[in-house]
Amino acid sequence: MTPIPDIGTWIAALLTLAALSFLYKDNPIFRFTESLFAGISLGYYVGITLNQTLLPNLIAPLTHDFNQNWDLLVPGLLGILLYMRYVPKTGWMSRYALAIFVAYYIGLDFTRRIHGEVLPQLARAIVPLSKFDAHTILWSLVFAIGVFSVLIYFFFSKEQDRITRRVARVGIYFLMVSFGAAFGFTVMGRVALLIGRLNFLILDWIYPLIGIR
Amino acid sequence: MASFADRLLGLDRRWLFLLVFIGVVTPIVFPIGLPVTTTASTRAAFEYIEALKPGSTVLISYDYGPSSAPENDPMAEAVMRQCFLRKIHVVICALYPLGGLQLANNSVAKVTAEFPSLQYGEDYVSLGYKDGAAAVIKRMGDDIAGAFPIDVRGTPLSQIPLMKNVKSLRQVDVVLTVATGIIGEYWITQAHAQSGVPVIIGPTAVGAPKYYAYLNAGQLVGMLSGMKGAAEYEKLLAARYPELARFYGSTRAFTATKGMDAQTVIHVIIIVFILIGNVAYMSRRAAQRRAGAR
Repeated sequence: MTPIPDIGTWIAALLTLAALSFLYKDNPIFRFTESLFAGISLGYYVGITLNQTLLPNLIAPLTHDFNQNWDLLVPGLLGILLYMRYVPKTGWMSRYALAIFVAYYIGLDFTRRIHGEVLPQLARAIVPLSKFDAHTILWSLVFAIGVFSVLIYFFFSKEQDRITRRVARVGIYFLMVSFGAAFGFTVMGRVALLIGRLNFLILDWIYPLIGIR
Repeated sequence: MASFADRLLGLDRRWLFLLVFIGVVTPIVFPIGLPVTTTASTRAAFEYIEALKPGSTVLISYDYGPSSAPENDPMAEAVMRQCFLRKIHVVICALYPLGGLQLANNSVAKVTAEFPSLQYGEDYVSLGYKDGAAAVIKRMGDDIAGAFPIDVRGTPLSQIPLMKNVKSLRQVDVVLTVATGIIGEYWITQAHAQSGVPVIIGPTAVGAPKYYAYLNAGQLVGMLSGMKGAAEYEKLLAARYPELARFYGSTRAFTATKGMDAQTVIHVIIIVFILIGNVAYMSRRAAQRRAGAR
């Protein structure tokens, strides 16, 4: 016997159809679904952050072994300070917490960008002359011309002259190729989402409904 | 010709939506089974995990939500199956707030049900979700238990046998980040740069182009690009493991390989419409030029 779709499948299927109804035209059912999705997402985010992060990483250590974990009071207090902005008289206090938060992420991101992105990418852009064969020469040339011409295109500190304008034009062609590849991937990605939804509608909702295994 | 071109350019886009809908539904109802060719980046990821010894540790990070699940779920599940078949330990975590944990739980439940001999805590462990991906990854580089003091079942990490020898990312043999958005980048530019842990990425197709630079620079050991990458991985698995060939050939559930039928049909439709659109545009422009010359 084919299992009948449960209530969760029905809700998911009807909400999927409601969301897809926008493709025909904007309508109240779509707007209801959109608002419902936004509200549920926010509620889910608050719930999961409380349950999976604040509880095990802050509240549980403080309540179970305060002497070992008293230093957690500092980030906990900074977190509470962030909410002071909702009270006009104490709003200034939230700026201290925000400043520390921003400073931490600037520091983290700065080293991440330098060590994880700029230096390895620069190292890759320098091709050793010792292992030159026909294949390496061709692709290294394409690579070097691409990097150089795109960098010239994005160099805005000096007005482009006759030569640099031509080099920048080559950079535009490289950029166009990369945009084309990105567009192709984007189409594949968006279609994949549609495939996922229609697979769900057909295999999990319609087929059981009409008795197909 | 010009008036026909005008009519084409003024075509109500809802006709295209209908055509795309038919193009997706038809291969789902009547599967075609089109062949999938594999790319070097997917083969590199597959072979890297194949080369790991039994007892090695793979960390799979669920860094995506339900919106990209059709692309990302098959990747994570395929790699998990490969690890379990090769007796490789799997550590699972989720860093994407909206649904990452739920998807991880679903995947773990689904795949571990296919391997009844697996023991939670010895063969695999699920660490749960943590907010603030960049800071979490930074902490995991030094101390995984500092970021995840307890697992998803509430057990302290110190009491989990699998985690006894996995204290930081330095003891992890490879990280698979199945990612949408920026979290995949954090694993490459932070975890790999900080602790040297090899990283494989399974991005959505939309995010894939930017990761080629990292792949090219040797910061990634492999990449599964979108649904195509996932289908390639399924093909490699099916070719290497007969039991998975039977599974992927018979399962009623959605797989990336099945999805590629619809992808191919839709891509043909889109290419045809791009050509028609361009021909119509150029013929209208030519007609306007002729009219201007008169």
